[in-house]
Amino acid sequence: MDAILLATQMVFQPDVLVTIVLAALFGLFVGSVPGLTATMATALLVPITFFMAPVAAIGAIVTCSAMAIFAGDIPGTLLRIPGTPASAAYTDEAYAMTRKGQGELALGANLLFSALGGLFGTAVLIVAAPSLAEVALQFSSFEYFWLACLGLTCATVVGTGSTIKGLVSLMIGLLVATIGLNNPAGVPRFTFGSVDLMGGIDFIAAMIGLFAVSEIFRYVLGMSPDTSNVQAPAGNLFTGWGRLFKQYWRQSLRGNVLGTAIGALPGAGADIAAWVSYAVSKRFSKTPEKFGTGHVEGIIESTSSNNAALGGAWVPALVFGIPGDSITAIVIGVLYLKGMNPGPTIFINNPQDIYAVFLIFILANIFMVPAGWAAIKSARLLMRVPRNVLMPTILLFCVVGSFAINNSVFGISVMLIFGLLGFIMEENGFPIAPTILGIVLGPLLEENFVTSMIKSDGSFLGFFERPLAAGLGIITIAVWIVPLGLYLWRKARS
Amino acid sequence: MRINDAILGAVLLACSLAVGLYARTFPAIPGQEYGASVFPTWISIALGLCSAVLIAGGMRQWAETGAVSLASWARSGHHLRSLAITIALVVFYILASTPLGFIPTAFIALAILFGVLGVKPLLTPVLAAGITMVVHYGFYSLLRVPLPWGVLTPWAW
Repeated sequence: MDAILLATQMVFQPDVLVTIVLAALFGLFVGSVPGLTATMATALLVPITFFMAPVAAIGAIVTCSAMAIFAGDIPGTLLRIPGTPASAAYTDEAYAMTRKGQGELALGANLLFSALGGLFGTAVLIVAAPSLAEVALQFSSFEYFWLACLGLTCATVVGTGSTIKGLVSLMIGLLVATIGLNNPAGVPRFTFGSVDLMGGIDFIAAMIGLFAVSEIFRYVLGMSPDTSNVQAPAGNLFTGWGRLFKQYWRQSLRGNVLGTAIGALPGAGADIAAWVSYAVSKRFSKTPEKFGTGHVEGIIESTSSNNAALGGAWVPALVFGIPGDSITAIVIGVLYLKGMNPGPTIFINNPQDIYAVFLIFILANIFMVPAGWAAIKSARLLMRVPRNVLMPTILLFCVVGSFAINNSVFGISVMLIFGLLGFIMEENGFPIAPTILGIVLGPLLEENFVTSMIKSDGSFLGFFERPLAAGLGIITIAVWIVPLGLYLWRKARS
Repeated sequence: MRINDAILGAVLLACSLAVGLYARTFPAIPGQEYGASVFPTWISIALGLCSAVLIAGGMRQWAETGAVSLASWARSGHHLRSLAITIALVVFYILASTPLGFIPTAFIALAILFGVLGVKPLLTPVLAAGITMVVHYGFYSLLRVPLPWGVLTPWAW
């Protein structure tokens, strides 16, 4: 009880609340401008959170990412251009509603069910995280090794697109993670005599490059969509909320459950949750023929799902330090920087920090309703922001942000190289999220592997001796083998 | 611009070989089987296998796609020039920000990029100066990032 009280005091500080409001506005803005993603919003925020108190920093990231995922629905509905990838699944549907003159209904439903989904994900986080943490307390390096393996595997298998390209992306990330002195043996690896490389590749600069700078390159090359002819919705957004909820509470609940579960899977986040939920909604609908013609049912289920995924993704992040998606990968980096090392012990030693995170989640999702209303009302303005001024400004932000990490221009070089890498990878169908997970989880994987090997005297059997480790190991290996087996079986049959 | 998977695979294969060979030079820990070279070696093997699959897949598609299928921007000199200038400006910032200082460097870089992206010439210097000063105030004065003063050091605040 004391911890909850303490957490409340930590959150209800003027500076924390102001930070949350500012981060919400920033998230809404970035989310609603097509071409700027929720992950990019988070990456741009990190250099600023660097200078904040821990609770304010986490609050800023939580609020910003929740708002950006919701705000992505606005240009999706009004212009048929998803503001963030998480909205892509139902953009056509929402736009069809706008063409039928039901834009307000679509946006209102997006707002209501996004907020509800976010709250549901938060509730699961509050219930599941502490009990999982008790299990996690019994984990040793063997279990952590398998968990990291499982996370990395999911990141490559679950993502959309080619698995082999996902694997390459992951290997690039793992390779980047080996650079520097920071390894169990303390040997400089791939440093080529450079003092800057000794410290390793800074993960924040790499993130900014991969997610923000690559997007700027795409804009400069004229690959961004035109957003000039937007019509702002004029009607009342809140009409029909009661009716919508009464009619579609089942879809909303199913979206919430599925979204939270997918979010909690390491490596799969809001984007995938929305796609899966839209497909599920169509599959189980009584009127599947209406899907695609501007029907609100699928929108409700997938918009519930993508916001619920955010909360779900925090479960493995807080309990195991294994990110559920690329946003929580950034979060884990920030948690370490702030001395709030994720893992089960934080639930025992610093429960107030955890409760503070929970509280911020609840606040952010409640604040989403008024803030989202304002964003929808000013949609015309938001989408008309001249992007030839905005993009250079963001580039300057990226540059200064990368500099600020170590106050050295080396960070800017890292940012530029990863910007080019991200651009080339995306152009050729390589997903970017596995690279980030590789950079974050690489050191964890190696450290736990070496520790385990020392403990078991170099015997691989050690990884299966403890029941928990054996269970996790079998699941991991099954995830490797089952898709391969299915593929070979299908090939043999045809 | 899509490059054929076989070419990308070949580049990755070369990388994985280089990593694998370089990893062999890492010193072993006496009495310990798993030293600094284990992980890079594994990664290089996995990357090598992936690139082999990519090469095989790319060869099959070679007849259809050729070596490189150009996106529309790759045929547009204007867009390619914009990209080259954007990258050059970041390099310019890396090289010039310390001797020249943040304010002049950011102003020059922004003004050039605004020009390239078609911001009205009259607005360009105003916007560039305004945004430079806002970013400077935010990061230098509020967040206390030691942005370099360079030639403006005598007037630093």
